[in-house]
Amino acid sequence: MRRGKREYGKNGSEKGLIFEAGMKKRDIISSLFWMIIGIGVCYGGYNLDLGTLNDPGSGFMFFWIGIIMIGLSLIILLKAIKKTAVAGELKILWTEIRWKKVVSILIALLLYAYIFVPLGFILSTILLLIFLFKAVEPQRWSWAILGAIISTFAAYGLFHLWLKSPLPKGILGIG
Amino acid sequence: MEFLNYLGIGFSVALQPVNLFYCFVGVFIGTLVGVLPGIGPVGAMSLLLPTTFKASPEAAIIMLAGIYYGAMYGGSTTSILVNIPGEAASVVTCLDGYRMARQGRAGPALGIAAFGSFIAGTLSILGLMFLAPPLSQLALRFGPPEYFTLMVLGLTILIYLAHGSMPKALIMAAFGLVLGLIGLDSINARPRFTFGKMELIDGVGLVPIVMGLFGISEVLLNIEQTVQRDILKARVKGLLPTAKDWKDATGPIARGSFLGFFLGILPGGGAVISSFISYAVEKRVSKHPERFGTGTIEGVAGPESANNAATGGAFIPLMTLGIPPNVIMAMLLGALMIHGVTPGPLMMKQNPNVFWGVIVSMYIGNIMLLILNLPLITIWVQVLKVPYKILFPLILLFCLIGVYTVMNSVFDIYIMLFFGIMGYLMKKFGYEGAPLVLAFVLGPLMENNLRKSLIISQGDFSIFFVRPLAAASLILALFLLISPLIPGLGKKRRAIPKEEVL
Repeated sequence: MRRGKREYGKNGSEKGLIFEAGMKKRDIISSLFWMIIGIGVCYGGYNLDLGTLNDPGSGFMFFWIGIIMIGLSLIILLKAIKKTAVAGELKILWTEIRWKKVVSILIALLLYAYIFVPLGFILSTILLLIFLFKAVEPQRWSWAILGAIISTFAAYGLFHLWLKSPLPKGILGIG
Repeated sequence: MEFLNYLGIGFSVALQPVNLFYCFVGVFIGTLVGVLPGIGPVGAMSLLLPTTFKASPEAAIIMLAGIYYGAMYGGSTTSILVNIPGEAASVVTCLDGYRMARQGRAGPALGIAAFGSFIAGTLSILGLMFLAPPLSQLALRFGPPEYFTLMVLGLTILIYLAHGSMPKALIMAAFGLVLGLIGLDSINARPRFTFGKMELIDGVGLVPIVMGLFGISEVLLNIEQTVQRDILKARVKGLLPTAKDWKDATGPIARGSFLGFFLGILPGGGAVISSFISYAVEKRVSKHPERFGTGTIEGVAGPESANNAATGGAFIPLMTLGIPPNVIMAMLLGALMIHGVTPGPLMMKQNPNVFWGVIVSMYIGNIMLLILNLPLITIWVQVLKVPYKILFPLILLFCLIGVYTVMNSVFDIYIMLFFGIMGYLMKKFGYEGAPLVLAFVLGPLMENNLRKSLIISQGDFSIFFVRPLAAASLILALFLLISPLIPGLGKKRRAIPKEEVL
């Protein structure tokens, strides 16, 4: 019997090896996170008016779901405390994987959302795609720029010209 | 006679050129996302949802449904040729399909997968046609307590079938309910958990959540590791299974269709679970169980039929009760609501065009898929060769534009990115996205029915226990929730699919 089991993602690639024996610290962290969320939901629900059982108010469901979340997070926490700790179980989250690439892509996507309206669809998308084509497995500049321009205009044609979705014009005034 | 009338309506809708076009686009994209890594049917459906806004409701659902069952076909291709399942429902197909391919029998493996899928898909559509009308008649008698408890049962079954920790699946469902309730209170129009943001008054959108959890997070998980894919070099030939292949595969296809259809009705990963169970059943009834895993055709025919039959079964709770049994059906529910169609017992009467048009289109779509997948298999093999470094920027681009065009709101892009990060972390910490999305969709309906029930009963909770169906649903849900605590039963839950297969 293997200790770890392979998980298949939606796309089918093998990934996210989950080691049940190595979940202790992760479960403690996640249970505390959900407990805080549960307390927040409970508090918010309480402030929204619970109503009565005859006529439940706006906060009724929130309050009780919050209570359930707190209870569930306690169960996860207690179960985690009983588990045996495995050395370096948190480290596995970022060793042997290219987490820096993930962070850089996330920052790029957040920046894209930020400049999307002021710069406009065409310019911001070309910049994003050049970065994405270069970021993970760097390709030649000429290819990255050409690929980005072609993909951007193809998407523009599909969404804006054919499907008539409004896209931000930005400083170039196209859209 | 009435039945034939409705079938006539269905054909007249599905055979309209525009609907045939949407059906073709749906099954084509479905096959494509089934073949391509990095995007599954849920992501593809949410991406393409905005493109259906200008279409009629029936055309929109015909296309979105096509993506769903098309992906089941496409997913098997990668399982057989590359040993990487295109989507989760084709995981078991790898076991024998890839072995067959390595023995030079890729053709018959692909062939039986396509024919099995076609036969099972057709049988499940027939099942849907016969079962849905009487069930919706029955559902007309349901009141708020029945609806509330059925939704509780639906969510519970989904959680019960989720792999991994049950408290974690429950907490995901609870969080999904909270997200679903954000926005104006449906009864007194009071803003809830909007944090002063105008964008949250109408609630959080389904599309940004689904695209974040199933689109962006998948890309992030794929980027962080280098996956090597060895594509079978040998040419695929002889797609038609031999007479012996047919003889071996008939039983598995029939059993797979039956199993898949009925498991598909149940909430949870119908297609995924039924493919695993079908494999386990075939292994058990076979005279040569030792051959499973070495490239036997039964191991491909059964699960591939089961996962396709499950797609038909999954429509039943959505179309008759308005309760989606899985994330994909939740997407379809969202799409129907956007087009002003409320799924449920009245749908068949109020929107016969949509109901029967979609069912008949699935039949036509299955024929299209057979043509798309068998003679054109070499094209899909080429698609498999597109490197991920080219693919992922395009998937991200589609997610970004797709989510923006739903409401023309940059805020939705931020929401999607938030759920992308969340989905990525959830995978690392052992949480699943499906209970969250289903609870998100059911949240407002559940709250509404709970509050209505309590108003009817003047605050008396016994209303859920004196009505037979409501009581039965609640008792069954309770049993499922506590069953892991009962000695002997807890083990069984985990053992169902994986250990019998692997």
